[in-house]
Amino acid sequence: MRLFGKDVTAKKLLDVVKERLSSRGLLPPSEDAGLDPGVEAPVDAFAFAVEAMAENVDATKGLPIETHRDGLSGQAVVLAKQAFRKVGQLFINEALARQVVFNGHVLDGYSQLSAEVVRLRGRIAELERALEAAEHARATLVNAKQPVLTVSQEAEAPPKRRAKAPRKPRL
Amino acid sequence: MGAAAIGFQRALRHLGVTGEVFAGEVAAGFESLVHPASRLRVERDDLVLYHHGIASSLVAKLLHLPCRKGLVFHNITPARFYAGTRLEGALRSGRAQVQALAGQVEVAIGVSRYNARELEAAGHRDVKVVPLLVEPERFTEGQADPVLRARLVKLGAPRVVSVSRVVPHKRVEDLLSLHQELRRLAPRAQLLVVGGYDAGHASFKALARRAKDLGGVTFLGRVSHGELVAAYRSADLFVSMSEHEGLGVPLLEAFASDLPVLAFGAAAVAETMDGRGLVFDEKHFAALAEVASQVVSDGGLRARLVEGQRERLGDFSLAAVAAALENALPRAPARPTRRRSAKPRVAFVVQRFGDFIVGGAEAHARQVALKLAPHANVEIFTTCATDHLSWKNELPDGSSRDGPLTVHRFKATRFRNIRGFNRLSSATFHRPQDLVSEARWVADQGPVVPALLERLVAERERFDAVAFFTALYQPTVYGVPLLADRALVVPTAHDEPPMVFHLYADAFAPAQALLCNTPEEESFIRSRFPSAAPSRIVGVGVEPLEGDVERFRETTGVTGPYLLYVGRLEAGKGVAELLDFHQRLVKHFHDAPVLVLAGTGELKPRGHRVVALGRIDEQLKWDALVGALAVVVPSRYESLSLLTLEAFAAGTPVIGNTRGDVVRGQLERSGGGVGYDDEYSFVAAVREVGEKRGELSRRAKRFSGRHQWKSVIDAWLDAIEKAGREVRR
Repeated sequence: MRLFGKDVTAKKLLDVVKERLSSRGLLPPSEDAGLDPGVEAPVDAFAFAVEAMAENVDATKGLPIETHRDGLSGQAVVLAKQAFRKVGQLFINEALARQVVFNGHVLDGYSQLSAEVVRLRGRIAELERALEAAEHARATLVNAKQPVLTVSQEAEAPPKRRAKAPRKPRL
Repeated sequence: MGAAAIGFQRALRHLGVTGEVFAGEVAAGFESLVHPASRLRVERDDLVLYHHGIASSLVAKLLHLPCRKGLVFHNITPARFYAGTRLEGALRSGRAQVQALAGQVEVAIGVSRYNARELEAAGHRDVKVVPLLVEPERFTEGQADPVLRARLVKLGAPRVVSVSRVVPHKRVEDLLSLHQELRRLAPRAQLLVVGGYDAGHASFKALARRAKDLGGVTFLGRVSHGELVAAYRSADLFVSMSEHEGLGVPLLEAFASDLPVLAFGAAAVAETMDGRGLVFDEKHFAALAEVASQVVSDGGLRARLVEGQRERLGDFSLAAVAAALENALPRAPARPTRRRSAKPRVAFVVQRFGDFIVGGAEAHARQVALKLAPHANVEIFTTCATDHLSWKNELPDGSSRDGPLTVHRFKATRFRNIRGFNRLSSATFHRPQDLVSEARWVADQGPVVPALLERLVAERERFDAVAFFTALYQPTVYGVPLLADRALVVPTAHDEPPMVFHLYADAFAPAQALLCNTPEEESFIRSRFPSAAPSRIVGVGVEPLEGDVERFRETTGVTGPYLLYVGRLEAGKGVAELLDFHQRLVKHFHDAPVLVLAGTGELKPRGHRVVALGRIDEQLKWDALVGALAVVVPSRYESLSLLTLEAFAAGTPVIGNTRGDVVRGQLERSGGGVGYDDEYSFVAAVREVGEKRGELSRRAKRFSGRHQWKSVIDAWLDAIEKAGREVRR
């Protein structure tokens, strides 16, 4: 176990604790524990929706029977719910038959649409990468084809006028 | 999340951004504060900030809103804690929605870095962190419920408190294990668990059985704010064993309560504490009990922890939240600034307006506006209400003229049921409240006119100053932070129950100046809100009309000496008590003066030698004032008694209720009246006025000479000029 705190000497405090535990004949905490501030893994929205819809597509199937009660009253509640379902299942099936068909179509439609969205997203990413590469190549090509203009200080300077030769004296 | 949304709304107001809170489900009684999501209507440039914490059908609505969108993520309990239960699916679904929103929102906010990282992992880009608001002043000793505090202290010591719902990931069973170990060291140790639980649930029953075997465990359940503070303030140590926290507000509340914190460093806990308090990484209960014992018994260690914890709270202040929000939200385009005109432009915001309105603050606003009109362009922003009890829209909305003034009226979107509101007030006053409860009361107080503030914010550059009349009403509490750089406040504040709400600091602190009416009002505001803006005493002027008592007697049929009251006929104004005292006076004295009441209101005055005139015009009022034996001012809740000043201007003494500081101050400074605070002193006051009316009248006249409009308007123009300078700066 480690203690963290800016306002105390955590090691000193932990040493005191270990000493006291030892005097009481108790085992000290381990040395190798550590905080895990890692975040939860994301849940893929489409995959989750398809999975959750598939799990619940059959509206005639009840959710798992639950009770928050314990003991005899809890058992009684579970039994009552089971009995209700057993007796009523025939009517539930009849009443929800069309709902089951509808849910199946919704699931099919959603799966197809989401698969298409995933495919299109992938294709867009691919095209964006290709576009980026093409733009990069074009820029390189343009740079390569253009003539190099070497500008030197001398070239820039206007040509010097030839100095006039001193006039010879006339005879 | 509800509290977070209200906190964000408040912080946004301090950034000059208007907005409303909508929710999938609105609890009964919160309809003024929060609107049902089904009523959300948006325009293309609006930004909807969606607070996400668990799977919600609001996400589907959000995805298809034709406006800009943002996500505020409060984190979701990992589904593994609820494996096999129906909640598991909802928790996973909520996380899937976080991913579905990536790329669909232009703003992504985590309320901690931990939450921000989770948003990034789900595909959100440019994620910002905006902390939640924690106000230390709500957790001071004075906020603790004294009864519960005394009861908890008696239980035994040391006392460990933990605040969380009793649900699996909060690991209350670990708290019990720590408690068991602590009892080996301190047999009278107590564990206080604050938070809702399901008493009939098997898992809670198991916890309760174990707690009973251990002894010294109290499940306090859901508590009021005062009780929550009592639990924190009565404890020696706060412990969190929670296995998952996206931020951990109770840790910060414990910081604010000067309570050392010992917490398991799960998820965002270590980040929330930022090295303050003590964080541990292994649940070795015997060792933790020793740590707890050391923290409780070592005064120096405790003091260091508390000091450090207090420092951390600065990162969760209103200013810090507002700054983080400003950084997170897209910048609004700069508004074009107005060219200066020869005359300053001023907007007056007042709850009701018109020469037909009975009300001191409203009359005050109109008088000042009319007197200012020759020197400034004054526009009035007000409601369509004439009745301040219901705020019903009785006047047409839109713009109109009132002499030199342009009046813009806006419809209230919600009316007040005064009975329900009085019940809410009884339940809210005289006990500490959290931000949501105070905001709920202010919203119910009204008038709720969001369009008024939206228009003012949109047109703010037209004005050098915006003057808000009456701190008590919602448009002032919301409007002053929105227009802080040019806000002037005429608080008309006095010592009444809601003025202990911390939320009212928003009406006083951000303004450029407070224009008070009396020294008593100014010192009251300073004592209650030390962060209030600079203030000055401005008051009002009085211009008496020539009064004719005979005309009054002819018009009304009143004969003999009479006491006069002019104003709203309401119990809150002390009128019911005045009627009671007068009837006793009449019962005991055959020559008791008649009581003349002019005005309208909820009370229907009846009684022997009582004359109710209803609403009277200005001339008749002055006719009545000059001839009265005395004017009675029965209200103890006044920031300035205009009636007192008018009576003095007419040379008539005042019999005033001295249980209010302001009226007492006015009487003391003027010497022009006599005070009363019960039935006997009322009788004595009437007798004294009868004996010394001439002398009192002379003093009253002298005092009224000091209240001239010229000095009042000069003070106003100076305040407007300073506000305009601030705007230009």
